[in-house]
Amino acid sequence: MSKEEMYKVIGGIKFSILSPAEIRKYSVAEITAPETYDEDGLPVQGGLMDNRLGTLEPGQKCATCGNTSAKCPGHFGHIELAEPVLHIAFIDEIHKLLLITCRYCNRIKLEQEVLDEYREKLSHKSGLLIGEKIKEEIIDKAKKVKTCPHCKKEQYELIFTKPTMFTEKTEVGENRLLPITIRDRLAQIKDEDLELLGFDPKSARPEWFVLQVLPVPPVTVRPSIILESGIRSEDDLTHKAVDIIRVNQRLKESKEAGTPPLIVQDLVDLLQYHVTTYFDNEVSGIPQAHHRSGRPLKTLTQRLKGKEGRFRGSLSGKRVDFAARTVISPDPSLNISEVGVPIDIAKRLTVPEIVSPWNIERLRRLILNGPNKHPGANYVIRLDGIKIRLDFVADRKPIADALAPGFIVERHLDDGDIVIFNRQPSLHRISIMSHYVKVLPYRTFRLHPSICPPYNADFDGDEMNLHVPQSQEARVEAMLLMRVHDQIISPRYGGPIIGGIRDFITAAYLITKDDTLLTKEEFYNLLVEGEYEGELPEPIKVENGEEYYSGKQLFSLFLRDDFNYTLKSKWAKSMKQKTADVIIKNGKLINGVIDKASIGAEEPDSVLHRIVKDYGTTESRRFLNSIFKILKAFITHYGFSYGYSDLAIPQEAREEINNYIQKIYEKVYDYIKQYREGTLQLTRALSPEEALELNIISELSKARDNAGRIADRALPDNNPGVIMASTGARGSTVNIGQMAGSLGQQAIRGKRIMKGYQGRALTHFLPNDINPDARGFVKSNYRDGLNPIEFFFHAMAGREGLVDTAVRTQQSGYMQRRLINALEHLRIEYDQTVRDPHGNILQFKFGEDGIDPAKSDHGEAVNIELLIASQAVVDEGSKANEDEIKSIVAKYGKNLNKRVYKNLESELINSNLSKEGVEKVCSRVVELFDKANTEPGEAIGIVTAQSIGEPGTQMTLRTFHFAGIKERNVTLGLPRLIELVDARKIPATPTMDIYINPQLSKDREIVANIAKDILYTKLEDLVANTEIDYNNNIKFILNERKLNEHGCSIDDILKVFKSSKKKLEVSSEDNVLVVNIQNNDVPLTSIKDKLLNTRIKGIPGIERVTVIKQGEEWMIQTSGSNLARVMEIENVDKSRTITNNIYEIANVLGIEAARTALIREITSTLEEQGMEVDIRHIMLVADVMTSKGVLQQIGRHGIVGTKSSVLARAAFEITVPTLAEAAVKGDIELLKGVTENVIVGSTIPVGTGMIELYIEVGRNE
Amino acid sequence: MSEERHIYVPKHEVLSVKEAEEVLRTFNAKPHQLPFILLNDPALKGLNVKPGDIIKITRKSATAGESIYYRYVVEI
Repeated sequence: MSKEEMYKVIGGIKFSILSPAEIRKYSVAEITAPETYDEDGLPVQGGLMDNRLGTLEPGQKCATCGNTSAKCPGHFGHIELAEPVLHIAFIDEIHKLLLITCRYCNRIKLEQEVLDEYREKLSHKSGLLIGEKIKEEIIDKAKKVKTCPHCKKEQYELIFTKPTMFTEKTEVGENRLLPITIRDRLAQIKDEDLELLGFDPKSARPEWFVLQVLPVPPVTVRPSIILESGIRSEDDLTHKAVDIIRVNQRLKESKEAGTPPLIVQDLVDLLQYHVTTYFDNEVSGIPQAHHRSGRPLKTLTQRLKGKEGRFRGSLSGKRVDFAARTVISPDPSLNISEVGVPIDIAKRLTVPEIVSPWNIERLRRLILNGPNKHPGANYVIRLDGIKIRLDFVADRKPIADALAPGFIVERHLDDGDIVIFNRQPSLHRISIMSHYVKVLPYRTFRLHPSICPPYNADFDGDEMNLHVPQSQEARVEAMLLMRVHDQIISPRYGGPIIGGIRDFITAAYLITKDDTLLTKEEFYNLLVEGEYEGELPEPIKVENGEEYYSGKQLFSLFLRDDFNYTLKSKWAKSMKQKTADVIIKNGKLINGVIDKASIGAEEPDSVLHRIVKDYGTTESRRFLNSIFKILKAFITHYGFSYGYSDLAIPQEAREEINNYIQKIYEKVYDYIKQYREGTLQLTRALSPEEALELNIISELSKARDNAGRIADRALPDNNPGVIMASTGARGSTVNIGQMAGSLGQQAIRGKRIMKGYQGRALTHFLPNDINPDARGFVKSNYRDGLNPIEFFFHAMAGREGLVDTAVRTQQSGYMQRRLINALEHLRIEYDQTVRDPHGNILQFKFGEDGIDPAKSDHGEAVNIELLIASQAVVDEGSKANEDEIKSIVAKYGKNLNKRVYKNLESELINSNLSKEGVEKVCSRVVELFDKANTEPGEAIGIVTAQSIGEPGTQMTLRTFHFAGIKERNVTLGLPRLIELVDARKIPATPTMDIYINPQLSKDREIVANIAKDILYTKLEDLVANTEIDYNNNIKFILNERKLNEHGCSIDDILKVFKSSKKKLEVSSEDNVLVVNIQNNDVPLTSIKDKLLNTRIKGIPGIERVTVIKQGEEWMIQTSGSNLARVMEIENVDKSRTITNNIYEIANVLGIEAARTALIREITSTLEEQGMEVDIRHIMLVADVMTSKGVLQQIGRHGIVGTKSSVLARAAFEITVPTLAEAAVKGDIELLKGVTENVIVGSTIPVGTGMIELYIEVGRNE
Repeated sequence: MSEERHIYVPKHEVLSVKEAEEVLRTFNAKPHQLPFILLNDPALKGLNVKPGDIIKITRKSATAGESIYYRYVVEI
């Protein structure tokens, strides 16, 4: 074997701008000829395809380095521009510099003292972004200066016409600044002035922003392709370069020929256009350059930018070999950690195996089998490195014989090999897991149905990818970190994500329900199926000489003897049983049925969860495999199906449903009647129409629910649909209700259907008909079928669902990309802190207690209760007293955090354990607590980002929802989550919860009065009508009810008007406010509008207040928010009043309060949607967003934007400007983060990639 | 702060130079590697803080019962 070679590691990348001198220095040829090839097809010397720029065809040799195309890296040429042009990427910098420097002396137009002050500030930069801030300040100040403080000369106004023209407004008229003048000016700017602006004058002199010479990239960058027709087709970049050379040539000639300056100027502009589009063909303000075919050219910027660009498309993600993709299908006879690989794929994918004395015979046989017979081999690599392709070998015998240790055989993929399996979108880490190969016939990948949840896969045509690790290291990592059964616990919430689904659940119920009896034969067959080894139980019943076993016995055989647990099954819940029914004692299922609550996927605190936590993943895999095999075999023989006839409900029930719906309809009619008569009881702050609609909706939803309930009740308990719904296998009672009862209200945007025509949804109804039928209520059910109108409504709602999903996936996908980009580089260090690769601390302990959710027990480090319970079973001796317990806990609990310590203590005191028992529990708690700690190197940022991003896809997009009270709409779900991580200044629906000092809050009257004071009231809100008469009087007729509602009197209004500065002449009579206007300059109507907008009282922003009772006390909920002002109101409880506007909280209460609020808001948003996410993940996001003392957005303007890595920023968004800025500043890429290292192709510094191994050389001598 | 503290605002304390050094040593960090807090942060009102101080924040924690966080005072 060859010695390990020394290789170089990239230390960093410095960004700078090439000076003209450098461009010329690097150039191997000046390009002057616009032609590429001559008539003979040979490259023209001095043309764009000059052979000194490198070679394309494999045979040719490079005229510069002498290498063939495989080895020649390519060489730059250059074009001498006849006239300088501006570089489009730096146009903003040019503009800024021209604005702030003097046109005569080229100094920054600020006094020397001011500049020195800034320099002083810059030298000891302490805070964040100080450089950026100073630059902005200088620009802001200097661009307004009219006279240069240095040379005291007057400055002209500069006009910038996008994209590339600068003009000066002089006394004699507008004077265009030509690139050549701009260049001269920029060249005069002093280095020390530039440094103030963040420039690095060594890497980027501003005069280099003006191009005099253009580098020509090597041909390897812009290869020409030969089409099938034999015609050569050049790259877009070559086309553009040809344009530049042509115009450049013409410009040069016409300058020499003394052509009129006007025409020369046109040519200069044309050259500028071509050079601009050469760099960026999407500059606004100029036409795009097109190919002959009409397609816009893809020039330099377009190559780098966007999803398919160089950064995201070719550097951050690459295409790989040794991969396969095909359709997936289920195979319950597989192991859960296996994947079935089609034999044709197994023959194409290979594993390199090094020949050794121990495998040489096997590999010989594989070689003899060759590439076309399955366990075979495709390639042999000899010791000299020559690779033999066995396809081309007539006789493989000699090769097999010549095999010797050290050879590498690329053999076919075979059973037991480890491979990596993946389904896109890879939203969390368990979307990629490693499996053991099982080579199978046919053409699809096969996987066990129980591992669908982590992949989010189904079998309606889904395809998945498979990768074969090629190195030993890769295989080891795949085996140690990625195997399916090591991923049963989800890092999102610390519960099992793999488990029984669908028919496994049904089967588990069927097998464990009380009346299931198995004959001896059945029982033994199932045990064989489950690969049971061990003793056999006694039959529970002998009848007519036949021995019978129960299903519970069967299930119990696969539980460990020391397993004890109780829980309530889904089935018991749906049967309305009160007590926990599943009782497992000493590994025996004594009572209850096993269903989703016990072995289901995504069910924390289940039997399965206990097994994983208590016995480990290997045991869990054994358990799952056995159980699933048995369940599969059982349900196959049982024959479980669901069909049309299973939905048939008795005639009486049918009638009951019809009658019920009829009754509801009558109720609705009654409401409508009441509304028409005006007797409808009104709810606060709702118009009669809204109140009516609300009542109808609530009645109709009752109709659906009850119809479903009647149908459900009418079906027997052994109905397959009922079994599936009640055990949690599939579907719900709602689904059964919709199939057998009534489909219910079809909704669009959460409202009854009323779109389509004016005032009606379909022409079959009268306009403004508010009957249930006209607004999309479907009386029928799926079984009996829908009538055409119902069907149409159903289709409308169905379409909305589809649109919703499409929009949602996009939005949540982008949110996740931003989260990943903001957090990817965070990792746990050896001291348990969470840091970025620069050592900046974000959390002193992950999640404040340093517990890894993936290793936690549903969010807890230790399940103390269960630990005590299981100790209690074996415990002997008398109960320890409180003092003893306290001292034992104190002895063990030094490293436990406060909460666990307290819990442990109180749980132990409440238990009946003996001293030894307490001791044992304590030591076990400490042990488990330590085990659940985060591991150094853990890429916790990514785990967090995935844990918050992944559930986004499952959230509803429905924006509005009623939170608590009917009047208050609050943004929820995905939009709210996005709003929070965006750190928006103002949320879509700001609201406040205002509490009143406890002494007063019991009194509704007082609270209501405070609410009225807070409510922002304009004159408009109080006015019923306005009139303008000919005496220049504006009359406001006030509404009594409104005055009352807002708690105002006419005097209040008068006071406001009299105290206003405008000195209005106001008077009032009864309920009419009269304002007399003297001056007639402004039309009275506009004065009226202005007056209507006058604030009478209240706090700006508070649009609506509601007083509600919370527990004992009354409090105020508002729409609209203004924390600062509300806090100033007397009797408002300043310690409890909150808003959902995080920004306000940060400003009023500080950054720590903002963090608390963020955690609360994100938690409640996720909780409301039923998404379980460990709070530690949310804490990390909140801590990251607040780590700089101000709220930072997760995205381009926040955390990602302030990343120090140029490449990471460029790969995220706004690629080219980021690179240009880095060049101007002379930034250095230190390659410390994740994205950067992926881009340059080195190991990423998290997880196993964080370890660096150093060996001292020459110590032995 | 003289008034009652808001439930969202945890306890903020200024560390003495010695304590600050101890914190930095424990975490093997330079001051600017700690999370920041602005000098004008409302929660620092009345604490007599100057830039460069380290603030010890005692948070109520849903996971650990109580947890300590440090922030470095910066000026903007």
